[in-house]
Parts: sequence; C-alpha cells; structure tokens
Amino acid sequence: MGEPFLRVTAETQDHDASRRRPVQTLRVKMVLLGSSGVGKSSLALRFGKDQFRSTSPTVGCAYLTRMVHLSDVSLRFEIWDTAGQETYHSVTPLYYRGAHTALLVYDISRRETFVRAQLWLKELEKQYIPGSTVIWLIGNKGDLSEDRQVTEQEGRILADERNLFFTETSALSGDQVTELLLMIAHRVNEHMGAQQGGLSEWRGTSCVDLHQNNNIKPFNTCCKM
Amino acid sequence: MSRRTERRGIHVDQSDLLCKKGCGYYGNAAWQGLCSKCWREEYQQVRQKQIQDDWALAEKLQREEEAAYASIQGAQSQSHSAAATSQQPQAHASLTPFSKFEEKKTNEKTRKVTTVKKFFSPSSRTAAKKESQEGKTPSPSIGRDAGFDTDQVSKDFMDFLKNLQKPGRDIHKQCRAFLISLSNKKHDLGADELSECVQDFYQNLADRLIGHFKVSSESVEQVMDQVEKYIMTRLYKSVFCPETTDDEKKDLATQNRIRALHWVTIQMLCVSFDEEIPEVSENVVKAITDIIEMDSKRVPRDKLGCITRCSKHIFSAIRITKKEPASADDFLPALIYIVLKANPPRLQSNIQYITRFCIPSRLMTGEDGYYFTNLCCAAAFIEKLDAQSLNLSPEEFERYMSGQASSRFSSSNGDVTDSASGSDAMPSNPVLVQLNRNLDMLSDLSTRQEALNEAAAKLQADLLSWTENVKREVNDILERYPLQVPSRTVSAIDTNNIENNLPPPLTPEVFAG
Repeated sequence: MGEPFLRVTAETQDHDASRRRPVQTLRVKMVLLGSSGVGKSSLALRFGKDQFRSTSPTVGCAYLTRMVHLSDVSLRFEIWDTAGQETYHSVTPLYYRGAHTALLVYDISRRETFVRAQLWLKELEKQYIPGSTVIWLIGNKGDLSEDRQVTEQEGRILADERNLFFTETSALSGDQVTELLLMIAHRVNEHMGAQQGGLSEWRGTSCVDLHQNNNIKPFNTCCKM
Repeated sequence: MSRRTERRGIHVDQSDLLCKKGCGYYGNAAWQGLCSKCWREEYQQVRQKQIQDDWALAEKLQREEEAAYASIQGAQSQSHSAAATSQQPQAHASLTPFSKFEEKKTNEKTRKVTTVKKFFSPSSRTAAKKESQEGKTPSPSIGRDAGFDTDQVSKDFMDFLKNLQKPGRDIHKQCRAFLISLSNKKHDLGADELSECVQDFYQNLADRLIGHFKVSSESVEQVMDQVEKYIMTRLYKSVFCPETTDDEKKDLATQNRIRALHWVTIQMLCVSFDEEIPEVSENVVKAITDIIEMDSKRVPRDKLGCITRCSKHIFSAIRITKKEPASADDFLPALIYIVLKANPPRLQSNIQYITRFCIPSRLMTGEDGYYFTNLCCAAAFIEKLDAQSLNLSPEEFERYMSGQASSRFSSSNGDVTDSASGSDAMPSNPVLVQLNRNLDMLSDLSTRQEALNEAAAKLQADLLSWTENVKREVNDILERYPLQVPSRTVSAIDTNNIENNLPPPLTPEVFAG
C-alpha cells in the first residue's frame, strides 16, 4: 500500500482512538473452493458488487474485498478465489491457510462437481480443527433447476453430516447471494469474535474515515461489473 | 600505527644477528630482529592492544552517536513545548539545518566505525566470530554492513522516528538492542530460530506500541513497515539464503528444473494469453521483468511489491486477451507460465526469506498476501509438474524432458500438441514465433516473385509474338486485297449524276383562265 506517510502526533492519536472505539473493523479471509466452471468467480463478483464504486480500473476478480456492517462490528471480507482445475488440487492447501471461512461451491447441474466438493472437504478437514473455521457448502446455479443433478436434499444431508452450513444460490440471478454473505458474516463474527484475537483488526489507510460515510469506502482493489 | 614505527626499525637492526630482546637466540629480519619466541610474544601483545584500542574507539563513537541522537530528541521536544506559544513554524525551521548537520555527523561516524572494524578483522568471518567468543564486548555496529543503501535506510529511519517523539526514541532503543542481541547469536541459530526471533520482535514491538504508547493501529502499521525496512536491510546479508539451510541447493534445483521445462508452451498450460496482440506481449514482458526484479530487493515488503506488480501485469494481459476480468482459474496457470519463462533468480530463497521475515499479517491476508500465495503455489506446482498436469502422455513428457522432442518440431512427429495451433507448431518463444512467421512470409513472397517473373517473361514473349502476328496479318491482308486506285473522274460524276437522276426541271405551265 503506497499511502502517503502519516505524521503521528499526540493529538491525532487520541482523536483517532476515541473515534475508532465504537465500531471495530475486522478483516476476514474468505476462500472460495470448487471445480472450475461452478461459478466461483461469478459468486465472488456478486459478493464484491453493489458496494463498489470503481476507484481504479478492474484488473481481475481473483482477489476482492467487501465491507459488511453488522450492528456492533464491521467485517472487511477479503475474498480469495482459487484455481479450480484438478491439476492444481495439490497446491490449494496453501490458499486456505489462515482462512476464517471457506466456501465450498458446486454446480447443482453437474454431479461431478458435487463429488469434487467432497474431496475438497476432506482436504479441508485434514487442515482444520472442526469448528474453528466456518465452512459453507454452496450449491450454485440455482437458475438451472431443470437440469438439476444434485438435489437440495443431498446437499443438506452432506452438510448436516459434516457440520457445515448449506445454501443454494444463483450467482447469475443474484438469488440468495446477499443473504448468504450476511449469514456468513454473522457466523464468522460469532465463531471468531468469541476467540480473542481470532480476527486481526483491519488497519485502514490514513484516508479512510469509518464514521463519515457508512456506505462508500475507498478500496484497494475493486471489481466493476 | 605502532606496527609502522617498529617496521621502520627493521633496517637499523638488520645486521644484528642475535635476538633484540637479548634472549641469546638468533633473531630474524622477518620477525623484526627477534627470535621466533620473542616475536610471537611481542606480536600478540601489539595485536591485543590494537584490538582493544579499536573496540574502545568504536564504543566511544557509538556513545557519541547515541548522545547526538538523544540531544536531537531533547532539542526537538523542547522546541515542541515552546511551539505551544504560537512560534512553532519558526522554531521548526531553525531546527532543521541543525538536525541535518547532526545526521550527517552520525552517518559519518557510522561509516568510520565500520571501516575501523574492517581494518582489524581482515574480512574473514571466522575471525570476527572468534573475537566475540573470546568474550570481548561486541560493538553494536557489528551487524552493520557498510554501504550506501544501509546508510540511507538508517537515515530515513531516523527521520521517521524523529516525528514520533517519545515512542520514536523507544523504538530506536528496541531496534538497536534487538540488532545487537541478534548479531551475538546469529552464528549459533538456524534460519527458523532467527525467523522466530524476528517475528517475536515484531509482535512485541507492536504490542508495546499499542499497549504502552497507545498508538493508533494505523500508525502501528506504518511504524512496523519502517521497522521492518530498517531491520531487514541490516540483517539481509546474514539471513538471506543462510548457510545453515539448504536454500541454495533448492534454488539450484528449481533453476535446473525450470530450465529443463523450457519446452512448455502456453497451450499445454491452457493459459489464456494471445501473445500476438502487442499489448499482451508487452504486459508479459513487464511481468517477467517484475518477477526477476524481486531478487534485487532487500526488504520483504519491497519483494512483495514486485510480485504484486507482476500479478497486475498478468491480469492486464488476460483481460486484454479474454476481454473480461480474469479469474483465479486463468491467473494461476498464467503465473506459472511467467515463472517458467522468467526463471527468477533464487526463487526458493526469496520465498523462504519472505515467509520467515515478513510481518505475518501481510502474508496471511491482504492483496500482497494473495499474490504471494499464488507464487508459492506456482513454485510448488513447478516442482511437482508431471505429464498429467500438462495433459501429455508419460512417454511424450519423457521425450520432451530428454530433449528428443521439442514443441518446435512436434508437428512433424504428429503429436497431440500440434492440434494446439493450426498453421504451424507453435514454439514457446514469441520471438521464434515471429521469426517463423517472417520466414514463412519471405518464402511466400519469393514464390510470388517467381510467379511474377514468369508472368512478365511470358508477357514479353506474348508482346513480341503479337507484333509479329499483327504484322503478318496485315501483310496477308495487304497481299490478298492489293490497293487499287480508281481513275479520277470526280468533276464529271457530279454533273452527270445531276443530269441523269434528277427529274427534269419544272417548266412553267400557263393556264388560260
């Protein structure tokens, strides 16, 4: 981050501290997992959309950020997209190291993606003590329900068995996407907020004023639709 | 200095064969007229004394430096309190030249200390190590490397801390203490322990700033950036690719591995680059330059900056090719391709160095962290790369690796790869592609030229024969229909005709009436 160098004096410190206290901003690392073509990127774009006022030209949608404001805290989601091709399966554990939440995405119209999602899950479980990370199973492409190969029931059963959260969405129509993000935010906040220091506070750039405007924020990266 | 005065005495006592000390043994000119035993004693004494002198000098300079720093701090805080009575700008302005002068002095001293140190420990690391083991008080300057960069960074760091006042002095003290303690034990510690020390230091300092000085979290981030820069610039030489690890071996292995994989093409990795678009190839070149540049940076943050810049260029290249924002599915293969093409120097060492000594929050989260993770993935992938990951059969993969086949000529072998490009087997190097295309164009041109020449010759022949034909035809016709000029009766015709053909002129008729 190339922000201009900040001259810290005693006055501004106190000032900042008193203004910052009421609403904390925490950074949350969210990893998107799933085979290629299940709509991870579209989902990520959906997550990043609405809030983005384009401040810099879009380069990619592999890394996006999104602010979610809850009643007592603001979460700054950092969304990490991963390469879904089977070839890169062996290197993906590097991505979800230190993630607070992992989204397992499959395509309801392609059974093989559902099978692959279970493989990802196995890998994830190897790395994590259950309960420390919010894992969410997502059946995407809900708009293709006439070609459905994986029933909602199946997804729900798998999620219940493995203690996951489950949602069916459509990144195309935007169905359930905003709701999903809010639910994730609440779960993450519950899970992590309890463990002290689970989330590191986001140290915003000097130009960010969290209280002047609650909706528009300058982001480091952004995506334009 | 004392050595020099003794040396001058060599010539005086050269003729004296006995030891100068009068111990009864013969002396030697090489030992300044002493016998071997006396010489050893003498030399040790002188050397010991010199070492002590040097340490004392170094320490004295160090103390002065610190005192100078403290006085600046004092002066500044004084001026600051005075500034409360509206004289701030003036006081500040008058202070600046003085502090600059002080800095310069400090810098000069730093340099002097280093040169003195160099003088008595003739650049061999073992000597320095032995000295510190002998229980001498180590100078704080031991961890310093001479050089403009280091001086510049120290200067910047001081400038930065000056603005922080009280916490700044504390940070300075902490950093110095840490550097000293680390320089004492750096020879005994492995890379991982060193990394732990540095990470602990970051953590403690950040906690201390938040807890003790109530510094806001944004400022802590900035302070930590500066601290990282300062500390890592100084430690860089001793902790980058240290001898205690096999980083260097891994670097070589990776380098050779990437060299052996020179034949991998865009198509095999399914990268969505169209290098025929000039903008794309430009971005590819920039990305390669950035990733290579990473090795030249010292501070982990700067290295991460290079990776991020490289990634941005890759994203641009993909976006220009696909005309839509790139996803991770496109990005990772592209990054792998760039790493293969660039073969960045000391890739593993750099990755290890960043992992060990970067401020941890920057690696786990944030944009830099994301791209760094991708680079780690790319490196891991390249290490494990096999036939399957390139969609080749094991036999083909072997043939490529052994150099029997190359993607350049694969079309003649009828391999799978030639389906990748319709016109020609696509060599991996864009320059070769261009070269091939130019060659094709040239040969095409030459055939066309030949055709043109032939046509021209034919035309010439045609033209020649055509005139012949025309001539012949004309002659034929002339022969067949010789020119017959009829006799001239022009004037007669006129009158005759009128006479013969015209009706007789009307004659007036008279009607009686």
